[in-house]
Formats: sequence, structure tokens, C-alpha cells
Amino acid sequence: MTADAPTPVRDPAWSLSRSAIGLWVTGGVIGALVWAVVVTAVLVLVPEDALPSPLRWALVAFAVLEAAVTIGIRPWVRYRVHRWEVTGEAVYTLTGWLTRTWTLVPISRIQTVDVTRGVLQQLFGLATVAVLTASSQGTVRVLHLEADVAQRVADDLARRAELVRDEAT
Amino acid sequence: MSDPDVGVGGGRAPGERPLRASPRVVLVHTATFRQARQMVPVLIPVAALVGLDDGLLTVVVMAAVVTALSLVAAVLSWWRFGYADGPTAVVVTRGLLARSVRTVPNDRIRGVEVETPPLHRLLGLVRVRIDAAAGSVGVNEEELVVDGVTRAEGDRLRARLLARRPAGVPAPDGVQAPQPPVEEELSRFQPRWLLYAPLVGSYLVVPLAAVGTLFRLVQELPDAVVPDLAGPEPSPHLVVAGLVAAVPLLAVAAVVGAAVVNWGYRLVRRGGSLVAVRGLLTRRHTELEVDRIRGGTLSEGLGMRWVRAARVNALVTGLGQANRRGQLLPLGPRAEALRLLGRLVEDPGPLTGHPPAALRRRLVRALAAGLLVTAAGAWAAAALGWWWVPVVGVVLTVLGVPMGIGRYRALGHAAGPRSFTVRSGWLVREQAVLQRRAVVGWQVRQSVFQRRAGLATVVACVGAGSGGYAAVDVAAAEVPGFAAAASSGTWAGTLAP
Repeated sequence: MTADAPTPVRDPAWSLSRSAIGLWVTGGVIGALVWAVVVTAVLVLVPEDALPSPLRWALVAFAVLEAAVTIGIRPWVRYRVHRWEVTGEAVYTLTGWLTRTWTLVPISRIQTVDVTRGVLQQLFGLATVAVLTASSQGTVRVLHLEADVAQRVADDLARRAELVRDEAT
Repeated sequence: MSDPDVGVGGGRAPGERPLRASPRVVLVHTATFRQARQMVPVLIPVAALVGLDDGLLTVVVMAAVVTALSLVAAVLSWWRFGYADGPTAVVVTRGLLARSVRTVPNDRIRGVEVETPPLHRLLGLVRVRIDAAAGSVGVNEEELVVDGVTRAEGDRLRARLLARRPAGVPAPDGVQAPQPPVEEELSRFQPRWLLYAPLVGSYLVVPLAAVGTLFRLVQELPDAVVPDLAGPEPSPHLVVAGLVAAVPLLAVAAVVGAAVVNWGYRLVRRGGSLVAVRGLLTRRHTELEVDRIRGGTLSEGLGMRWVRAARVNALVTGLGQANRRGQLLPLGPRAEALRLLGRLVEDPGPLTGHPPAALRRRLVRALAAGLLVTAAGAWAAAALGWWWVPVVGVVLTVLGVPMGIGRYRALGHAAGPRSFTVRSGWLVREQAVLQRRAVVGWQVRQSVFQRRAGLATVVACVGAGSGGYAAVDVAAAEVPGFAAAASSGTWAGTLAP
């Protein structure tokens, strides 16, 4: 990671729950298993003369590399990058891995606040808060917060949005 | 069979019957095979099964059967269709077996379009499309269609649905005296603007698509009906001559196409609405609420820039796909487009260009494809003797230079006291000018390469048009300042480091 270049905008203050790393690693392991099955199937089922051996090795190398990145590197990089913050006026998140995305939505323009819990998230006691606005691109997702924190944040945002709602959009 | 379920909702007094479309619409739908078109995929295998031979009689019989089916389907769908415009909502009921009742509250209505296709016009009918706000219904169901009411009824519906109440509060009937609306003409189509059409991609596509459809039709017809045209292979000279002759033909077709769509175009401000009327065969009458317009886009295609032509679309909150509905100037001189845009939203001032690093990024991207093909081509030429592959690669690379420079020169952004603007694109250069209050969020994106170049892409999230308008490759240090200057209120200050 290059920390030398200054970021274009301020980073949000709060980091995610550490359980998020576990969740991302689990996701990576599942993905790697799927790849392993696919690659094995290709190696076993495709006859020798249809797929020359350099391509076979390239396929195996790709699967191994993919597993190493998604299990060994990406979860930690993501954990260091991902941040979120709720200020007096706005919800602010930073997400991404190689490409970083900062999203800022003022509380006055919030239309809906959703809390969702995926299967994996439930295993790790996490939840995602999605803040929706009138714009299809102006959606803020705070991934992988502790479930009770997520619920508190969502309730708080929904209540404050009700107070300061700006219908003009 | 009576249908008591039709009367629900809409705030209509119970017992009051929903309205029906005019019976004359049955004729229109029979003639156009509107409902019967869905049966075509079923009919083809049936025809194949019965083993029809390609005789003229077969064609006649098939046409008769299809027409009869079409008539039945049209009658049934007319019989099962009902609509009601109540004081609080519009209810449309339809469906033969599975009934569908759709209710759209009046305050979610964003625009009404009355269109008159040629057959409708012949029978004195119109089709009314009612646009509901995005989000209130499914993505593909943003409009209600009431097809085949009389012209007077269409006008009544339009006037009634758009009788504006302050911010969605329905005024009790009769309280708001219908004061004579002030009418002001904003723009009127000049026939000479049609000469721009051959340089506009979308008008060129129409004749090409027509030719394609014709070919497909000829292929699908039974052999007996089609005269045998296949002679000996035409000589190359003939092909070239044909292509040369096709160019002026295509240009004429584009002009004709543009004339059919835009004939008699007029944009009028009437009270709180913008009304656009156009069309030669199908007359379209579109109405947009001024209060919901947040800005506009100025689009100039590659060919249009050459002759300084442009088109203008309004960006309307809640209207998802505003490209068709929001069209305010379909085709005209750039000066006229700018004047019209200035009426929608204040001019935010001259555009600021983007840093030289953005030019490098545009060039790298524009050249990458060409260089890749050249490299692969060098290998292909050496290994397989395909000398033309590297040639194509070199041509692509050379063309990439003006494209990269053009893309860079299109980039720009500016923030004024009440509005802001972003511009990008090369094939179609699009400049969006928006009111500051339209912004409902900011998104800043930075890839690894952008980080190293000190650039970032800023997207203004807007509840209108495409949902977001991006300033691509802005200097990273300028981002917080631009975001703060281009949104209303103080919340965007959160971005400042």
C-alpha cells in the first residue's frame, strides 16, 4: 500500500469490526474452493490434446494465486482501507481495495435506511447498513458492522432523517 | 360478467364506474396486431407442425386467421381495461385472466405525454402515458398507459393530472380557480435544422435499422412470394458504386427520419409546466413540471460538434429515463441550445480544464488497445504471416492520439453561485448543468493509477437523469473545494481534510 500520496478527501474516522476480516477470509476460502472444483473438473474432464500442458499449469497457477490474494492479502488490505463515520450532517464511508471510493450523503436527503444480514454475516454477528437516496448512485453501504451497532445506527439515522428531511431532492 | 373489483381505490365514490377506452381503439389494435403479436412465436411452430407449403393461398389464410385472432384479442383487452382518475390517485385495471390493478398517487406523477400515432389520429383517438416517479413502482413500470381515448378525454386527463397543487398537496376540487395560464414560447423548430440530421448518430441508425428489418422480413416470407433476385455474383465495381450511392441516400433518409420525429416542434412554458409538441405522423405532446427540473444536459456528438449543433435534455427529479421525455431541443444550433439551457438553470461560468496528468491518462487508455493489437500483430505476422494484423494495430494506435486528446479536451468542471457543471465524453460529449440543491450525495473514486497521478473522479449523485454526473480525473487537491462549492448547505465540508 502506498501511503505517500495524499488522499483527495479526508478519511472517515471509524474502522469496521475486526470480525469483518474473518468474514472476508471465509468468503475467500469459499471462493477458492469453488475455483478448486472448477479447475479440477477441467483438468480431469478435458482431454490431454484439447488443452496443452502449459495452459493447464497456467490454470492451476491462476487458481493458487487467486486463493492467496483473496484469503491472505485482500481481507487485511480491505480492513485497513474501509472506514465509516456518521457526523452531525452526513453519513460518510470509504470502501474499496485497489480502487477506493468515498461516499458522502447528507442526512437531510436520506430516503430509506435498510439493515441487511447475509448468511455469512449472521455467522459472524455482523450486519450491513444501506442508506438510500433519490439517486441510484447515491447509496451509502456501511458493510459489516456489529449487528447491534448497525441497528442503533440505522434507527438513529432514520429518526434524524425524519427531522431534517429536505423533500426537494 | 360484471367486475366489481375495478372500482377500488382512486378515491372515487364507490359505485362510480371506472372509465373505459373508446371502442374505436379495437380497430386500431386489430390493424396493428397489437395483442396478436405475442402469438407469433406460438404460430410459427404450429405452422411448421401442420406442414404448410409455401403457396399464396397459405399466406392469405394465415393473414385471415391472424387478423381474426387479433380482433378477438383486441376486443377482450378493451373489455377488460378500465381507468379512473380519482381526486388522489389514478387507477388502471387490465388483464384478461390475471387482473392487474395499478394505483399511482397523484403527487407521484411527474409528467404526462399525449401521443397520437397516425391510425389513432385517423379515428380521433390519443394515447396517454403517465409517468410515475422512479422508485414508487418497479423499474420497468414507470409509466401507466391509457391507450385509445378520444382527444377531448386525453386533454381532460392531462389537464386534470397536471393541475398543479403546491408540493403534492391535493387541492380540493373547485377551490383553485383555473386561471388562464400564461403561455410563452421558448423554442420553435426551424426546418433548416433538419440539415444537421445526417451528422447525428441516432438519426443515421434509423434508416439502417429499417433496411435491416426489410431484409429480415423478406427472408421470413415464404419463397413463393419473393421474386427471385439472386442473379450472378455482382462485380466489385458494382458493390463500390452501390456503397457510394448509399451515402447520399442514407443522408436523405436521416433528414426524413428527423423530420418525421421532430416536425412542428414547439417548446412552450404554460403556467408551471413545460410543454413540448412534435411529430409529423405520431404527434407527441409532452408536459414536464418546471418545479421539478433540476438542470439539463447539452449533448454534442462527434459530427454535431463539427457543424456546431447540439441537443438539450431536461433533468427532472423522479423521472428515471428522462432521455426521451426530457428532450427540450431534439436538434438545433449550439447557440440555441445554450440559450435554452440558460433558461433551465443559471450558467455556472466557464469550465475549468483538468490537469495534464488527466491528458496522460486519456492518451494511455486511447493508445493501449492499438498498441496491444500491434504487439499481438507483430507476433501474428512473424508466426502466421498475417501481415494485416499489425497494420490494423498501427492504424488504431495512430487514431488513438486524436481520440485521447479529444477526450481530454472534453473534460471540464465549474461551480457557480447557484449551479455547477461537469463535461466529458468524446463520441458524444455531454455537459450536465445542475442546480446546487440537486446534489443528494458525493462519491469520490480513486484507482491505483489515479492515486499515483494525483487525480480522482468526483461523481455528483443526483435524483434525476442517470443518477450521477462525474467530473473525471480532477486534481485530487481540488476535490473537496469543488464538492463544497457545488452542493447547497454545509454538509459537503465533511470531505475537507
